[in-house]
Amino acid sequence: MKSYRRRPGRLLGVTLTNAFMWLLVIIVVYPIIWIFINSLKSNSELFLNSFGLPSKAMFSNYIDAWNQGLSSYFMNSIIVGAVSIFFTIALGSLCAYGIARFEFKGKNFIFYLILGGLLLSPQASLVPLFRMLDFLKLYNTYWALILTYIAYRLPFAVFLMHSYFLSFPKELEDSARIDGCGTFTTFTRIVLPISRPIVASVAIMTAIFVWNEFIFALVFVEDAKMYTIPVGLANFKDALNTNWTAILAGIIIASIPIIVLYMLLSKSFISGLTEGSVKG
Amino acid sequence: MILVFVYLPIVQNFYFSLFKMSSYSPTKQFVGLANYRMIFEDDVFYISLKNNTLYAVISVICQVGFGMLLAIILEGSFIGRKLKVFFRNVYFMPSLLSVTAVGLMFYFIYNPNIGLLNGILELIGLGDLKTAWLGNPKTAIYAVIAMSQWQYTGYIMVLLLVAIQKIPHEQYEAAEIDGASSFNKAIHITIPGIRDMIVVCTVITVIGAFKLFTEIYVMTQGGPYNSTQVLGTFMYRAAFAYDEMGYGSAIAVIIFAITFLASLVQIRFAYKGNN
Amino acid sequence: MRRGLLILIVFATLISTFLVAEQVELKFLHRWPDPINQPFLENVVKDFEALNPDIKVNIQAISNDPFKEKIKIVLGTSEAPDVFFTWPGEFTNRFIRAGRIMDITDALVETGWIDDFVYSQLEPFMYEGRFYGTPYRIDAKVFMYNRLLFEKAGVDFVPETWEEFLVACEKLKKAGITPIAFGNEQPWAISHYIGTLNQKSVPEDVWLKDLDPAKGTWDHPGYVEALKMFTQLIPYFSQFPNAIKHAEARANFFAGGSAMMYVEIVEIPYVYRDAPVEFQENWGMFVFPNTGGPGNQNYLTGYPEGFVISADTKYPEQSLRFLKYLTGREVGRREYAEVGYLNGIKNLFDEDEVDPGTWDAVQLVMKAEAMANWLDSSLHARIWDVYSVQLQMLVDGVTTPEKVMQEVRKAADRVRAEF
Repeated sequence: MKSYRRRPGRLLGVTLTNAFMWLLVIIVVYPIIWIFINSLKSNSELFLNSFGLPSKAMFSNYIDAWNQGLSSYFMNSIIVGAVSIFFTIALGSLCAYGIARFEFKGKNFIFYLILGGLLLSPQASLVPLFRMLDFLKLYNTYWALILTYIAYRLPFAVFLMHSYFLSFPKELEDSARIDGCGTFTTFTRIVLPISRPIVASVAIMTAIFVWNEFIFALVFVEDAKMYTIPVGLANFKDALNTNWTAILAGIIIASIPIIVLYMLLSKSFISGLTEGSVKG
Repeated sequence: MILVFVYLPIVQNFYFSLFKMSSYSPTKQFVGLANYRMIFEDDVFYISLKNNTLYAVISVICQVGFGMLLAIILEGSFIGRKLKVFFRNVYFMPSLLSVTAVGLMFYFIYNPNIGLLNGILELIGLGDLKTAWLGNPKTAIYAVIAMSQWQYTGYIMVLLLVAIQKIPHEQYEAAEIDGASSFNKAIHITIPGIRDMIVVCTVITVIGAFKLFTEIYVMTQGGPYNSTQVLGTFMYRAAFAYDEMGYGSAIAVIIFAITFLASLVQIRFAYKGNN
Repeated sequence: MRRGLLILIVFATLISTFLVAEQVELKFLHRWPDPINQPFLENVVKDFEALNPDIKVNIQAISNDPFKEKIKIVLGTSEAPDVFFTWPGEFTNRFIRAGRIMDITDALVETGWIDDFVYSQLEPFMYEGRFYGTPYRIDAKVFMYNRLLFEKAGVDFVPETWEEFLVACEKLKKAGITPIAFGNEQPWAISHYIGTLNQKSVPEDVWLKDLDPAKGTWDHPGYVEALKMFTQLIPYFSQFPNAIKHAEARANFFAGGSAMMYVEIVEIPYVYRDAPVEFQENWGMFVFPNTGGPGNQNYLTGYPEGFVISADTKYPEQSLRFLKYLTGREVGRREYAEVGYLNGIKNLFDEDEVDPGTWDAVQLVMKAEAMANWLDSSLHARIWDVYSVQLQMLVDGVTTPEKVMQEVRKAADRVRAEF
């Protein structure tokens, strides 16, 4: 309160700033609400009046969207995501731990080789990857996505976990080793449990990546039954013709899991994002 | 695995870019650098390059510049503690949504007949400005760019916010004793304090701009008449829609070169920041 | 000796049962992953498998626009489907040239299978005298119109000539009615107009020559004339054609938002499925008006769609059996009943078995002297790329008919040089 008296202009500043921030909230949130409201209308109501409230909430649009393919896109995304996350963490943590804790020949070379992967844009490799996956008979399988996702997420995982492993004291592991644990047991019993926050960050980042990845999923899988959420959703635009309300419902359904995840684990999200500093 | 899936393709790209080949016929024909010459003679290449650059410039100004402003406001004393968290989470949320979902959302928002944007323009008496945002070659690319600002400004803001929180408190306290205004504190302490993060954010925004694909693919497919083509869709179209796999590879080499250079800059600064 | 024979017989029986029991798997790719066609085709496959226990068919589907890209990719992989959808014409011919599609001429001719089809619907699948596929769905482009809006505007005739057509448009416009619904976000929509106008404005032999990528020069003045006629229609189109999808424009047309629309006869089922009752009771059809140009005016634009067999299939006999079933009479009758399409089989229905709209449409198709292929699938991919971009610009009025054809000729020259 003291400060207000000292500078009378401050109250105005506070009010204006808050008003401005609330305006931004509206800009961010209103489009989503608009989509949500319209997703509850019937198609003809949408065309006649896209601004009012629905005369009767049609949750059937959600059922339509779900039954017209979204359920299988969901399953595909979950399968691909779960396997990718598992292997990214398993391989990434072993790799990072090895590099952080042990000295061996060519260590730096390997480390930079892995990190170099961060520099390469997946898009630029589309044509060769496509031909390679076809050659390996993996085209149009889950593995086409899983393998490429792991390959492109590993550098990031190693990068994050490596600096984390470096930052915690070696004494813990040493004492475990004195108690008779082998290197691998030390790793699984001591190191991984302590690293839970970073593992969570990597898992979440990989989950977001898989949930949203588009171009690989578009090119490496051909059958509509195998589509993951992003490609399946884009496909809705063609397949459902003018059944727009079902598309809108699809947008909402596809967005819910990540938002829920964020609400539950927002700390790991933010740290994962900031440590990684990589977009899309 | 990284070698096979990440590095090998880059090498192969160079190799393929020297051939004329189609996806469905087994033969390929060596053409040397002809694909590259074709790129430089292709009008669509220049449109794409222009669009990517436009996207990069606007994104840096809006996401990094405006994002920084928001970050400074959120760290300042004008906003209550609880509201800070609320604002941060709300602004951040769009970046979590998949680009496909956001692209489809804005596809409807920009619809000339039932879209939200034209509706609002009508409402506030600017009905004359109504247009088919994605169907008009003058507005289409800006419409797509605007969507990305909506989606990613909050993300960059959070990155900068974390960096601001790392600035030692003593610096601010010292300034307050000297009677510095909020504005002065921002200019003299906050911005220099997060300089490295600003560079990192700028670079990832630029890289993101040159990786652009999904937004365009979902919303305009490069149309109307190629006005929203970007390098990513240009490459995809050449390689997969017009069977010119070699030509596509040559474009990919160019994308690779641009993003690689930008990434090198990023790593340099990120490392400097960490040490 | 007898013992030896017995063993031999037992052995042979064993082998043959083993062979019969071994199931082959066919990969079947279509382009309708929507909630109406997909289940129908799944049922067709199920019934086929019940009749042919030695064959298992794996269905895959990609929707229309992505299909055009994906099919090229898929045919390049080792995972090429055995039986797959295609649009006859240049779209298919390039695959034939690259040796990706099986020649089925012998199978068609030797068993008399060929006689099942309406020949005009089978002919499109012929390339250099050989047959490569069979029609699954016949199609043609016609104008659908709303009788109520015609009456309201005082249009008491159905336009037969270009002049009459323009008069009708003008009258509608004066009455405050949008004359023509047009959604061109995906430029195949305009390709249907230009395809028709090209065919009617250019002498038949020149036009056919130009469709061949190895010979096409596109320098006949009729092509510019066709575009000029098209520009006469621009004032009569609904707003923002390049930003509206065809299906969206159609929804608006059904709702009474405009008076006419250039549609495919395969869209007739939508009338009965989606349109309000008022429209269902007051719509009609007419063919594209006579333009008086030097082209054959008795053509109808529209081409069948169908299925072909991969040249790499390991199971040609089984694939043929499936193709025959898929495009045959029994499936054809169910196809109409369940999804509203007609296939290329002769005398599939009597008049009283189908709805009047479909019946009229079929009569139009049967009356046409020949069918003109869709412009987009009849052109070489790179010519169409240029053509489509130029046409969208033409709709917006930022280019002229002369410039459009200049660009098309440039593209055609480049393509021709490669043959």
